[in-house]
This record gives sequence, C-alpha cells and structure tokens, in this order.
Amino acid sequence: MIHALAKPVLNRAVLVRSILAAVTLAAPLATAGAALVPSPAHAAGASDDEAERLARWKEIQKSIFGDKTITATDSLVKVDAPVRAMDASLVPITLTMPEKDRVAAVHLIIDDNPSPYAAHIAFGPGADAGEIKLRVRVNNYTNIHAVVETRDGQLFETTKFVKASGGCSAPMGMSDEEAMKGMGDMKLKFAEAQPGRPVEATLMIRHPNFSGMQMNQITRDYTPARYINKIAITRGDKTVLTLDGDISISSNPVINFGLQPGGQGPIKVVASDNQNGRWEHSFTAPSATN
Amino acid sequence: MRRRLLRIAAAGTALLLLAAAGPADSPVNVPEPDGIWTGPQRGYTPATLSGATVIDIDALDALIARDRPVLLDVSLADRRPAGLPADRPWLPAHRSVPGAVWMANAGAAPLDPAHEALFLKRVADLTGGDKGRAVVAFCHPECWGSWNAAKRLVLQGYTRVHWFPEGIEGWQERHPTTVIPEDSAWTALANGEAQR
Repeated sequence: MIHALAKPVLNRAVLVRSILAAVTLAAPLATAGAALVPSPAHAAGASDDEAERLARWKEIQKSIFGDKTITATDSLVKVDAPVRAMDASLVPITLTMPEKDRVAAVHLIIDDNPSPYAAHIAFGPGADAGEIKLRVRVNNYTNIHAVVETRDGQLFETTKFVKASGGCSAPMGMSDEEAMKGMGDMKLKFAEAQPGRPVEATLMIRHPNFSGMQMNQITRDYTPARYINKIAITRGDKTVLTLDGDISISSNPVINFGLQPGGQGPIKVVASDNQNGRWEHSFTAPSATN
Repeated sequence: MRRRLLRIAAAGTALLLLAAAGPADSPVNVPEPDGIWTGPQRGYTPATLSGATVIDIDALDALIARDRPVLLDVSLADRRPAGLPADRPWLPAHRSVPGAVWMANAGAAPLDPAHEALFLKRVADLTGGDKGRAVVAFCHPECWGSWNAAKRLVLQGYTRVHWFPEGIEGWQERHPTTVIPEDSAWTALANGEAQR
C-alpha cells in the first residue's frame, strides 16, 4: 500500500524533471526549426515499444476472438481509468457505451497482465448497458482494451494506456483466513430512482479474489488462486447481466451497472468462484415515485 | 462524520506520501543486514549497500551512456496460478530494461548451490571475467532480490557493483521497456530440475 502511494510522488518529480528537460531541449530545437524531431535513439525506443504492444494485442486478440474482425471505435465504447493509478491492485475502470441499445456484451482485456482476459459482461433485457464500472489489478504499464459485441454480432474495440504496476502479486496485507472472512457476503446499493430513467446499482461482494500470484512473505508459498468466475444478475424473470471474471478483478469486487427502468421483481445475484463456492442473495430494488 | 473521516484519510495519505518519497527513503530506517538478507523478500530495503553504489535513474542513465554496464534483472517470474482453467489465455511477458539479462529470483536467499554457482558463472561470462566491469542489479522497489544479488557480487570481489532500487518501475517512468526472455542458461537449469 505504501509502495503504491509512494509512486505518485516519485512520478511527479520525474514528470516535472522531464517537462523541464523537454522545454530546455525544445527551445533551441524550435529555433532551428526542428522541434518535432525527437532524438533518433528515443524515437526508435518509443516506436519499438508501440510495435511490441500492438503485436501483443494481436496475439491476445487471436487467442480470444480467433480471426474475427475487430473494428476500432470512438463512439461505441470508451474506457476511463486513471492514467496513473494510486493502487495497482485497485484500479477503477469505467466502460461507457453511449449506443447502449446496440450493445450485447463487452470484453475487458488488460494486455500486459499475464492473464489478460479480465472480464466478459453479457447484457440481458433487464440491463441498461450504458455504463459499467469495476476495479481491476494491473500488473504493468499496459494498454487496456474494451471490445464491444453488438447485437448483430460485430466487434468494436477501443483502448487506454494505464500506468500502474505490481497489482496482480500485491499481497492483501492480512492473513488468508482474515481475507476470506465473510466470503460471499453481498450488498446491493441503488442510486436514487427517477421515473423513466435507468437505475444505477452498485454490487459489492466480499471475496479475496486471490490471484494465485500473491506470495506469503513468511512461508514463501503462493496463496492458491480463488476468484469469482461468474456473477449472474437477474430481475424477476429477466437477465440483467452475466459477468465472467478472472484473477484480474480486484479483491472484494465492486461492480456498478444499470437497470432498465420499469423492471419488476426482486434482483437476484448468484456469484460462484473457481473452487465451487456459490452464493446467492436477493435484493429489493427501489421503485421510482412521482 | 463522513467529511471528518475523509479529512483523516487525506491527512494519512499525505503523511504516507511524505514519508515514502522514494525507495531509498523508506519510512523506517532499515539497517543493512550482515551479509545476504534471508528474511521476507518483499519489504523496505536499506538506503545503502556497503561495497556497492546505490544509484537513481539519473545515475543509471549516465552509467549506461558511459560504461555500458552489465544489467542484471533478478525479478521473480510470473507463475501460472494453480487452478487457472486451461482455456484462459496465460501470456506472461516480462518487461524490463532493454539489454538486461534476466535471471529470475537470482537474489533469493537461501539460493541453492547450483543456482548460486550458475548466477556467478553467468556474471563472470557477461563481464568477460573482469571484476572491475560495471554491473547493475535491479528488480522492483521494495524488493530485496536485487539488494542480495548486488551483495553476492560484492562478496565475490566485484569492485563496481551498482544497485538500482527503483528497478523496472523507475526505468519505465522515463524510458520504454521491452519484453525480454529469461536468460537461456538460467531457464535450462530450472527445466533440468523440473525433469528430475
């Protein structure tokens, strides 16, 4: 934790230094009319870096989507995340999908995580697919990709670069037993309902979501992976969403999602993990009053 | 009440930020161990390493430009978690300082004799047997592995050992990283063990 907090200070200092350096460098270059030409060594390094990241994305893309075409989009999905995360094991991600009625599902991929496929969220008729928020672990400076699947079966992607590292292996700072206390407890909170508007809901599940990459510093054993691999949310007889998760989801998962206005019946959440844990809770949604 | 809590949290955060401004400025003063550190490998590290030079990114940049040092990355490798389904893509990629030689966990303590001997042999190869050649050991912030790796070389009589505690995180603040494979001799030893 302290390490994660410490970084921004270091970073800010480095940032100020690099801005100063850039300004000092740029001034004489600008007068020479060459301000936009970076030094050859740096240019080569940066483009190698980009090429390498692109190659990795292509590899991941193939492993998840096979040969299906994925088109870049600025309008169907947007990824919001802090450019520099305070805590690499708790990086907040917001996926915005303005053309929500076209959206059937969204995939979240953290390119440089060793297990890059963080989540797949499929929306049902009970969902408002305009926005999803969740918190993830980020192992290294990485592109984060969101791939939207439209109702007519097309794929669209967008990406965002995030600076954080060490999130997958960061220990929770407590014993495994303590981290597992109350496992499966849930809360579902609702934003104030307004007539005819989607209702924003926040699901909180107590679960350590052990990544399998966290080492016990005393015994030097790895805590075995134990993570929520499925969350199914329904309202009455309608599916709201189904989330397939992975070790990249942060401990004690928190997921924000939208409910279609005018839904009826209790909201049921069923969460299961990779070690046959299964928890089911039912919640009453508020109804909008005029 | 909530605002007060927030204020307390903010103050706490500010304190932590002040206290932990850099890897060399641990909030607690960690004394150098007597020889190799055998305690938990992750945690606050000392600000010094006797017999070696502790360097920041500026000093590393200067050293690379001037002396083409041997760069030794001793970070742990990502291990596939037990219980991860076979159909999940598992694509670990180790990003590091371009040109570095990666011997995963070579800073471990205790290190079995075969690995210790191979580590020293690889460094001897990489330095061309010149114990006066500049060497830099690194991994991540708050990682004892690189401290230990540097210490091992000091104890072997290397005279220009450098420890870069900011590690890969410090490097990637300023420069691109690149995906590097593990040193092949190092991997071969690990694979040989697995077959036994």
